[in-house]
Amino acid sequence: MSSRRSRIAGLRTLGAGLAALGLLASGCGGGDGGADGKVTIRYSWWGAQDRADLINKTIDLFEKEHPNIEVKTDFQEYGDFWTKFNTQAAGGNPPDVFQNSHAFLRKYGQKNLLLDLSAQVKAGNLDLGDFRQGLEKAGEVDGKLLGIPVGANTFSLVYDVEAFKKAGVTPEPGWTWEDFDKAVEKIGDPEKDFWGASDNGGVMYLYDLYLRQQGKAFFTEKGLGFTEADLKKWWGDHNRKSKEGLLVPAKQSEQVKPKSSVSAGLSAAEFTWDNFLVRYTSETDRELALAPIPTTDGKKTGQYLSSLMLSASARTKHPEEVATFIDFMVNDPEVGKIMGYNRGVLPTNAQFEAYKPKGPDAQIAEYENSVTEYLEPITPHPAGADTVEAAFLSIYGSVAQGTTSVDDGVAQFFDEAKTALGS
Amino acid sequence: MTSTDISAPAVDGEERGTRKTGRPAPSPAPAATARRRARRETLAGYLFLSPWCIGILLLTLGPMLVSLYLAFTDYNLFDSPRWVGLRNFSEMFSDDRWWQSVKVTGVFVLIATPLKLAVALGVAMLLARPRKGQGFYRSAFYAPSLIGASVSIGIVWRALFQDDAVVDRSLSLFGWSGGGWIGDPDWSMPTLIVLSAWQFGAPMVIFLAGLKQVPRELYEAAEVDGAGAWRRFRSITLPMISPVVFFNLLLEIIHSFQIFTSALVIAGPGGGRAGGPGDSLLVYTWYLYEQGFSNLRMGYASAMAWMLLAGIAVVTAVLFWSQRRWVHYEEGGR
Repeated sequence: MSSRRSRIAGLRTLGAGLAALGLLASGCGGGDGGADGKVTIRYSWWGAQDRADLINKTIDLFEKEHPNIEVKTDFQEYGDFWTKFNTQAAGGNPPDVFQNSHAFLRKYGQKNLLLDLSAQVKAGNLDLGDFRQGLEKAGEVDGKLLGIPVGANTFSLVYDVEAFKKAGVTPEPGWTWEDFDKAVEKIGDPEKDFWGASDNGGVMYLYDLYLRQQGKAFFTEKGLGFTEADLKKWWGDHNRKSKEGLLVPAKQSEQVKPKSSVSAGLSAAEFTWDNFLVRYTSETDRELALAPIPTTDGKKTGQYLSSLMLSASARTKHPEEVATFIDFMVNDPEVGKIMGYNRGVLPTNAQFEAYKPKGPDAQIAEYENSVTEYLEPITPHPAGADTVEAAFLSIYGSVAQGTTSVDDGVAQFFDEAKTALGS
Repeated sequence: MTSTDISAPAVDGEERGTRKTGRPAPSPAPAATARRRARRETLAGYLFLSPWCIGILLLTLGPMLVSLYLAFTDYNLFDSPRWVGLRNFSEMFSDDRWWQSVKVTGVFVLIATPLKLAVALGVAMLLARPRKGQGFYRSAFYAPSLIGASVSIGIVWRALFQDDAVVDRSLSLFGWSGGGWIGDPDWSMPTLIVLSAWQFGAPMVIFLAGLKQVPRELYEAAEVDGAGAWRRFRSITLPMISPVVFFNLLLEIIHSFQIFTSALVIAGPGGGRAGGPGDSLLVYTWYLYEQGFSNLRMGYASAMAWMLLAGIAVVTAVLFWSQRRWVHYEEGGR
């Protein structure tokens, strides 16, 4: 009796096992190339649902115009995106085309994971003739074309208009760090859980700009472009201001994540990429605006144009279709109208002119227009730059929380950066 | 298990056949049939077992061997592994974050495991008494364990313990003014421990089974002798269920060492780097995952995994060694 039951159970297990195997096999087998000549490409990006909604619309448009190409999509938040990408790429199964940014070009370029798109440009599948502000060169690293920009961003200060007005401070081009500090001091009111600025001591891109104002930079081609003493001063200053109650305490800002301190109503100012204004504005009722980075000498902001890009996998079986896809996404005016400035100011003239920005997008356009004259070439990002960026943010987080001293934090950072950049 | 279940009747059948014929030397024909049948059943047994076998070979044993090899290499997932000998292991000892992850995991195991078992035992003792709606209560208390490891619960938990959320406001009624628990390096670990203790269902069910095995007469006799409730618990319940306590302790310690999901979700979005505020929730498996999949240091991650295995093995060995002193088996200890 019992043997009979176990036999039946065994049979069921076997059945289930076989079914699972079958699923697995079909999962592996599915995908590219159908009998009808239809080609499937996989496209993944990082972002939130709002970006996904827009991108899906552009893909519908693309598939309508290219009925022989089917696009399968998938997206994650920034951090998860890269772990998933790494896992897929290590398994020899990366997406055919994916969102990328400057910090990752060299890292994956050196591992020969990225397709050099210059061949596709020569073959006429990808048109770079219409890019604005020299953006067609943004994805060139070590003589290869590894990414095509879908939007241009520059760093900025997102600030609470009313709070700054009340304090009588106008952030304008050429303002200095002293001006900024004074404004922060005037605005902050810790009693009411409101501070003049977020503690951005751990933001690599801000420190990079500050260093560039002194004629240095965060990275050289190979390693770090600053000394331990430099960083002790930067982190020490931020930490001191935080202790004096001038900046949002880490405990508070940590609580409101994933919202920013500005959109959560804790802070009047935060340094970030200008396209984040879209997201911040959607998260709060306060009026927010963009201002240039404060300067050291009253002139130089150190700002540069960066961009989100599309890269192709070197392993793709369909380089031509992928190039066609990228070409459509950067050149088609309708795509520009749909995407707006979700990934930054539109990269090509056709898209830029087709889209009439409103609301925060109009502010971003105006801001980027106002800083164009100060823009300089981008800081090089060696392989491992992304790991260094994460360490910079996290270790300063420990310093801000008071679990690590400034000196220990700096030592730890240099140690980890050496590991990340050295190998 | 499956294989013995299936092959056992075959042996029985053969013996029975022998006995039935009553002859010392059975005729060759039935014996051959029986043997053939036995072989066929054995084959069937292995066939039924094969999905599991293939699974363990391909998905567990294979990867384990590969990771053992990778532990001695420098491997970034894309280029071929480079042999570095013991460098990964020696690097761990000078890696501050590795030590931090050991500390965090150690604290979690030391506090969360006993707490969870105490809660499980307490609830089990309440539920052991017969009462109306017993089945419902048991299921209700077990429910958190079914969903506890899931991401959704982590998110709910995070929402509960945030600044100005349910927990903070409730406590403020009693004069607490600590703010939220999440995001504060001093309070994120207690949050994680409470979440873990709340998932006491699995050990509770095992405790329940153990409590049912304790003979009533012992309690009655003790009561006659004038033993109070605490005395009965100390002198009867605990020794009688000590094998179950041992089993639960072993299982839960191993389980606690591997904590991953809840820490990840509670600490929230990390921006490509694990650990929560001030690395206060940097549990071991999480740091391992970050090294492997974010920093592309799969060799180092593999070495970390084997260190974890060694750590768990040592703790388990110590537990087994210690059981002679405090675990009582009936019938003179088997």
